[in-house]
Amino acid sequence: MLSRLIRQVLFVLLHLVTVNNEVMTVLGHVPLITKELKHLVVLVDTDHHTLTDLARVVIWSLVFGISYVSFYDITGKLQKDEENLFVEVEKQKKGIPGCIKWSDKPNLNGYSNGIPANTISVNILSYNDGRPKIIKCLQQISQDKTLSIRSSDEFTSQELDRTLKTIYPSIPDPNLVLYSGPLCCTHGLLPWHIRLTEFIQISIDHSINVNNYLGALYKYNKCDLRFGK
Amino acid sequence: MDGNRRYAKKLSVKTSDGHSKGFDKLSETLKWCLDLGIPEVTVYAFSIENFKRSDEEVNALMDLARDKFQRLLDAMDQINDWGVRIHVAGRMSLLPLDLCKMVSQAMLATRHNNKLRLNIAYAYTGRDEISRAASQIADGVNHEDITTYDINEELVSQALDLGPPELLIRTSGEVRLSDFMLWQTANTVLYFSDALWPEFTVWNLLLAIIHFQRYAPPPLPQKDNNGNQDEFLQKLEEKRLQQLKNYIECSS
Repeated sequence: MLSRLIRQVLFVLLHLVTVNNEVMTVLGHVPLITKELKHLVVLVDTDHHTLTDLARVVIWSLVFGISYVSFYDITGKLQKDEENLFVEVEKQKKGIPGCIKWSDKPNLNGYSNGIPANTISVNILSYNDGRPKIIKCLQQISQDKTLSIRSSDEFTSQELDRTLKTIYPSIPDPNLVLYSGPLCCTHGLLPWHIRLTEFIQISIDHSINVNNYLGALYKYNKCDLRFGK
Repeated sequence: MDGNRRYAKKLSVKTSDGHSKGFDKLSETLKWCLDLGIPEVTVYAFSIENFKRSDEEVNALMDLARDKFQRLLDAMDQINDWGVRIHVAGRMSLLPLDLCKMVSQAMLATRHNNKLRLNIAYAYTGRDEISRAASQIADGVNHEDITTYDINEELVSQALDLGPPELLIRTSGEVRLSDFMLWQTANTVLYFSDALWPEFTVWNLLLAIIHFQRYAPPPLPQKDNNGNQDEFLQKLEEKRLQQLKNYIECSS
């Protein structure tokens, strides 16, 4: 009984030391990465990534000041594991200031000691949030005459965007997608929303750690957008 | 095809020289694809967003397109000999009428060729392509050619200008789609090459192909069309063909 207690205490201490180290590392790089990063998507392959990997991404992103982090569920197994991911994030969050919002779960708040703390929203996305959702929108348009009003024969992208916005939650377009392994593929991630998204490889061997996470953010920082000009 | 302007800057020559070098590279790359037996090639030549560039540059690009399409029309025998089908994807109504006419002529004259299909995305964005397909589908329901329940992923895919690519190469170190083939790339190998487009070599192409051969994901399951959908798509094709004929007539 006593030994179990000691083990638990040691575990918590160890956790605080390693996680805090990483948090300090991330904090040190925040001023150097200046390009706006509101929405980060990680392409998750549950065969390679653990819930701990993902929970740490949430913590680093919270500390970094990213407002939205989404996990794209390639294999379809992550959504079933959402509860466990939440628990894992809760575990990793201990002692870290800031607020984590989860669509249908309680907010994870923390002490901020008077320092303004960040807020991050976490989402799990899947194939069904992409093409199938656009199909639903097109079906609505075909049934509701008021939705099919257009300035010329054919919708402009701005016109269709207005209708699509009504069925998508107000999450900004992803700025950055992180993928691991040699293959870069969208796997059907939000086709309407990724026109300007940068695709950056976090690691070739599917590992996720604070160093390759920051390395990817540095690569992202160097990409410049020209909007066709 | 990205990096023409950076290439021009690197060599301290005019931007338009960079663009014309880029065009030369396109014909070279097509030759490689023909030799390799690739049956369909799509290039992103001009985005709707590119209209925001300076008038001078946009005009120079339109002139370049006029010049190339004229040469293409002049060399029609050669193109038919190679069996190349030319297809321009984009919102044609945004183009100057004379260019529209040339494009339509090239598309009509080559539409029965089947050795290599060259799609040129011009005045194109992926969102615009989806929007135009959505309009046609909404009209299809209105005219009772199809019902709401006939609208599915396969129907949209087939109502677009461009089919799904297996491999997409982005040059010049950019790592985004820039509004290109957004719908179609769900199962595509995205390959980012650091080479500027005018400096792209056959080795860069072969590296991309080897990468594709090694890592391509398994194909997505497909649903067959029902009768309504087939009929609607056929009507749509006829409508688009008629539109091309109209462009030729109204400007002559």
